[in-house]
Amino acid sequence: MNGSPLIRLLDVSKVYHLESGDFTALNHISLDIMEGEFVALMGPSGSGKSTMMNQLGILDVPTTGTVSIAGKNIASMTLLERTHMRRDVIGYIFQKFYLIPLLSAYENVEYPLILKYKTRDTTGRAAAVLKSVGFDQEMSAHRPNQLSGGQQQRVAIARALVNDPKILLCDEPTGNLDRKTGFQIMDILTGLHKEGKTVILVTHDPKIAEYAHRTIQLEDGRVTAS
Amino acid sequence: MKDIFFDLSIRSVKLNFLRSLLASIGIVIGVVAISSMGMLGTNMQLMVKDQLTTGINIITVTSDVVRAEPGQSVSTNTGITEIQLRDIRDAAGINDVIPIDRTSTQFSIGSDDGRGTIYGLDPDDARTILNVSEGSTIRGESDAIVGATIASRFGVKIGTRIKIGEPNISVNRPVVRVAGILPTAGLSSSNGINTDNAIIVSDTWYTGEFGGGNTYDQVNVYLKDVTTLSAVEDAIDKKVNRNKEIVRISDSSSRITSVSSTLSSLTTFILAIGSISLLVAATSIFNVMMMSVSERVQEIGILLSIGTETGEVRRMFLYEAFILGVIGAVIGGIMSVIIGYSVVSAMIGNTAYFFLPESIVYIPAGMIIGMIVCIVSGLYPAWKASNMDPIDALRSE
Repeated sequence: MNGSPLIRLLDVSKVYHLESGDFTALNHISLDIMEGEFVALMGPSGSGKSTMMNQLGILDVPTTGTVSIAGKNIASMTLLERTHMRRDVIGYIFQKFYLIPLLSAYENVEYPLILKYKTRDTTGRAAAVLKSVGFDQEMSAHRPNQLSGGQQQRVAIARALVNDPKILLCDEPTGNLDRKTGFQIMDILTGLHKEGKTVILVTHDPKIAEYAHRTIQLEDGRVTAS
Repeated sequence: MKDIFFDLSIRSVKLNFLRSLLASIGIVIGVVAISSMGMLGTNMQLMVKDQLTTGINIITVTSDVVRAEPGQSVSTNTGITEIQLRDIRDAAGINDVIPIDRTSTQFSIGSDDGRGTIYGLDPDDARTILNVSEGSTIRGESDAIVGATIASRFGVKIGTRIKIGEPNISVNRPVVRVAGILPTAGLSSSNGINTDNAIIVSDTWYTGEFGGGNTYDQVNVYLKDVTTLSAVEDAIDKKVNRNKEIVRISDSSSRITSVSSTLSSLTTFILAIGSISLLVAATSIFNVMMMSVSERVQEIGILLSIGTETGEVRRMFLYEAFILGVIGAVIGGIMSVIIGYSVVSAMIGNTAYFFLPESIVYIPAGMIIGMIVCIVSGLYPAWKASNMDPIDALRSE
C-alpha cells in the first residue's frame, strides 16, 4: 500500500435534472479509498449507492467536485480514455451477471482481452482465470443461458479479472444467488482481496457486508458512516 | 485476425434468422428488380441497335452536285474517278470499299416491258454484299441477279433472259441471263443499294453496254465496326475533298442516334422503377437494424460498460447490416440471372445479348447497390447503438 489513495472523491455532488425538479443523488461527498481495501457500500434504496458506483466505475462524471482514480481526474479525460480505463483498471461484477448472451462462457472471459489487445487470446490467460474461479473447463463452451446463476457469476468474475484490474466493483454480486452460492462467491472475492485487489462491494445484506473491512453508509446522498 | 465483433454480428443474424432473412428478401427483390430491369432495357437497346445497325455501317460516297460557273460547261464526267476510288480505299483502311455503277433504264422480259435500276458490280464484290435467296451469284459475263420485286412481277426464274435497254432504239438489245434472285430487302437494306427493283450485272458487262469504265456512280464503304463511322468519314473527306467538296459522304447514323437515345431514356425510366423496390428494402433493413439495436440495448450497455469503444460497437452493427446485405445480394444475384433471363426472353424473345458485358454488368452493379443500401440503412442504427449511455442501457430490460 502506498500513501496516496487509489480512489479519491472530493466534494462530489451529482444532481439529476428531472421534470419534477432537481434531484441530488450525491450531496458533497468526500471519500478516500486506499489500494487493497475491501469496502462495503451500504444504504437503503435511493440513498445514492448506484450513483456512487457509476462514479467509481467511470460510467459517469460528477456535477461538481472531482473524482480521481489512480491519480487521474475522470472529468478531464476524453470518452475514449475513460473507456480504456474501464477496460484496464476496473473489473465489474453485476447482480445480474450481465454476460454477453451471444458469446460462450470462455468467449465472455476472453472478450476484455480482445478489447485490450485487439486479437484473440493465445496465451491461455482466459482459460486460466476461468479455472482460478472454479469454473468447469468443460462448461466453457456453454452460452450464459445454459449456466446456473452461480456458474454465470463465476464467469462474470473471471471476465472482471482477466485484464488484471486494480479495482473490483461488485454491485450486489450475491443478490441473484441462493445463500450457499452467495457465500461461495464471497469466498472468491475475499481470496481476490487477499491477492491485493481493491474490492468495493454494494450490498443490502449485513451478512455479506461483514466480509468487508470497512463499511460506508450512505443515506440521502450523504455518507453517514465510514 | 478473426474479428470478435464480426462473430457477434454473425451470431446475432443467426439468432434472429427468420427476421434477418425476411429483411434480406427486401434486398433480394431490390437487386433482382434493378438488375433485371437494367438488363431488360439494355437487351432491348442492344437488339434494336443491332437491327438498325444493319445498313448504317455503310458510308455512301457520291460525286457532289456540280454547279457550273457562268460560261463554263458542266463536265459530263460526274462520277467518282479511279484516283478518287484509290484515295477512298486508302482512307477506308481495313473496311470493304465497293464501287458501283448504276443507271435507270427499260428492260423486257418476254413480252413484258419494265423499268428499273441496273447496277454494275464486280462479281467478287457482288458475292460480298449480296445474298441470293435462289440460284447463284454472278459467274459468267452476262449473268444477272434480279431483285425480289422484279422477280415476282415478271415471274422471273433462274435462267430467264432479260433484254436491257429502250426497246425501240436498237433491234438487238443486249441480253442477260438470270443467275440468282435476291430476297425482299425493303427499306432497311443491309447492303446499301436498293435491290428490290434492280438488276445487278457484272461491271464488265455494264461498262460494255453503258460506258463509264473509268468512273463510278457511287462508292460504298462497308464498316467492320460501326463506331468508327465518323472517323472513316473524316478520313475520306480529308483525303478526297482536299479543299473543296468533290464527293458527298453520307450515312444514316442520325436515325440510330435518335432511336438509341429514346431507348436509353426508357432504360433509365424502368431502372428508376426498379430502384423504388430498393427504397422499400432500405426501409426494411433499417427497421430490422433498429429492432436489433433496441432488443440488445442491455447487451450494448454491457459492452460499453466493460470497456468496448464506441467505434467497436458501431462496427458490430455495421457488420450486421453488411451481412444482411451480402445475403440479400448473393441470393439476389443468383435470382437475377434466372429471373432476368426469363424476363428478357419473355419480353424481347431474344436472349442473344443477355450475357454480353453491357447487359450482365447489371447483376454485379445491382448487388453492389444492394449492399451499399444495406450499409447506409445500418448507419443510423449503428450510430444510435454506439452513442447510448451505458448506465441507461444497462438499466433497461
